[in-house]
Amino acid sequence: MPQFDTTFFSSLIFWEIVSFAALFWILYKFAFPPILEALETRERKIRDSLEQAERHRAEAERKMQEYEAKLSAASRDAEAVLARAKDRAQRLLEENEQRLLAESERIKADAARDIEHERRKAIQEIRSQTTDLALLVAEQVVGRSLSDADHRRLADEALQAVADAYEERRS
Amino acid sequence: MENPLHPFELHPFVHLSLLGVDISLNKAVLMMWVVVALVAGLLIAAGTSRRLVPRKLQSLAELLVEFIRGMILDTMGREGMRFFPFVSTLFVFILFCNLLGLVPGSFTVTSQIVVTAVFALFVYSMSIVVGFSLHGVKFLGILVPSGTPAWMLPLMIPIELVSQLARPLSLAVRLFANMTAGHTVLAVLFGMLVSMPFIPAPLAVKVGLFFVLVVLIVMRRRIVASAGIVGLILWWCLIPVLLSIIWIRWLPFVVSIAINGLEVFIAFIQAYIFSILTCVYLGDAIHLHGHEERAH
Repeated sequence: MPQFDTTFFSSLIFWEIVSFAALFWILYKFAFPPILEALETRERKIRDSLEQAERHRAEAERKMQEYEAKLSAASRDAEAVLARAKDRAQRLLEENEQRLLAESERIKADAARDIEHERRKAIQEIRSQTTDLALLVAEQVVGRSLSDADHRRLADEALQAVADAYEERRS
Repeated sequence: MENPLHPFELHPFVHLSLLGVDISLNKAVLMMWVVVALVAGLLIAAGTSRRLVPRKLQSLAELLVEFIRGMILDTMGREGMRFFPFVSTLFVFILFCNLLGLVPGSFTVTSQIVVTAVFALFVYSMSIVVGFSLHGVKFLGILVPSGTPAWMLPLMIPIELVSQLARPLSLAVRLFANMTAGHTVLAVLFGMLVSMPFIPAPLAVKVGLFFVLVVLIVMRRRIVASAGIVGLILWWCLIPVLLSIIWIRWLPFVVSIAINGLEVFIAFIQAYIFSILTCVYLGDAIHLHGHEERAH
């Protein structure tokens, strides 16, 4: 194999070392620093951006939670207000109803009592007038006056009988 | 047929000597210069832009840097980054020597055993120097795997010694042999392309077969439609046979293209293997017994 021909070994070794050293020096001096620097810059930039994004996200989440909490508190408040209002309205309605009912009952009772009273008074009046009238008529018919106390008692008894009959018929 | 080892022969163009040592210029030396110029030019050009959003060349250079950095971090850890310039120069030098050697008419520097041997010995002695400078005499402990019982020492030390000595040898021979073998195969195929005997047939027959070939290719769809899978198999058998009768050298031609593709792949693989083994050997020198020291 030509590779084992030693005549070229010295020149190959020499030039290999020289070329490799030259390449190493050139790359070490001029090529790697800018490439590595660019990489590092990008890495830093990406890390910063990611961190910033993470911060923004956390903040957004916090705000979101805050708003949500506020919103739910507000809606709870509104519900409570509404419930109270409804309750109150219901109570007012019931109270009013009761009051009106009681009032109307009272008015009715008053009216009934007045009517009863007036009726009794009227009956009394009619009775006394009737008695007087009857006495007057009897006096005129008989021509003489009966002793007042006796006759009034008799007339009252008669009238009472009439009134009883009347009441009986009415009931 | 041409000698397939012809591509590895060297002829001095310019006779030079330095202090009595022959340093004549030849094709291999020229290729080394080309590699140095190309790599330096490309990487410096890649470094000058320094864009935050990189262009193609910068991306490629950054890919290379990240690749080698990953390799070093995997095998040596953080403190291995001191060797980053050395390992990456070694990688690109070997890679470009391998790749440029595939250009027809060029020369594969890494197919010279002396070149790979110099790299291998340099890498190995570097690992020894690093080991002794970091650990002093304790570095001899590399011959004793951790956890070896004392009575095994007489057995283990010779085995480890052989494994240590095999390191530079295998490093040098692996690269050299891969490059030589690949290029020898290519040379053989190219030789066949030139010297393979044609199949004897009158020119009229060959012209007739050529027309049959053209008809077969044009009618392919109809043949498959009428004869189904059998037609397809027949078609695929007939085409190479006809081609071979007309022009037998298509075979080495196609195979040499395929092998060339494979060689590009091997060029990368071998450069990678050489650099990663460099990292492993240096890593062994830094972390004498693997993980126990890497832990703190």
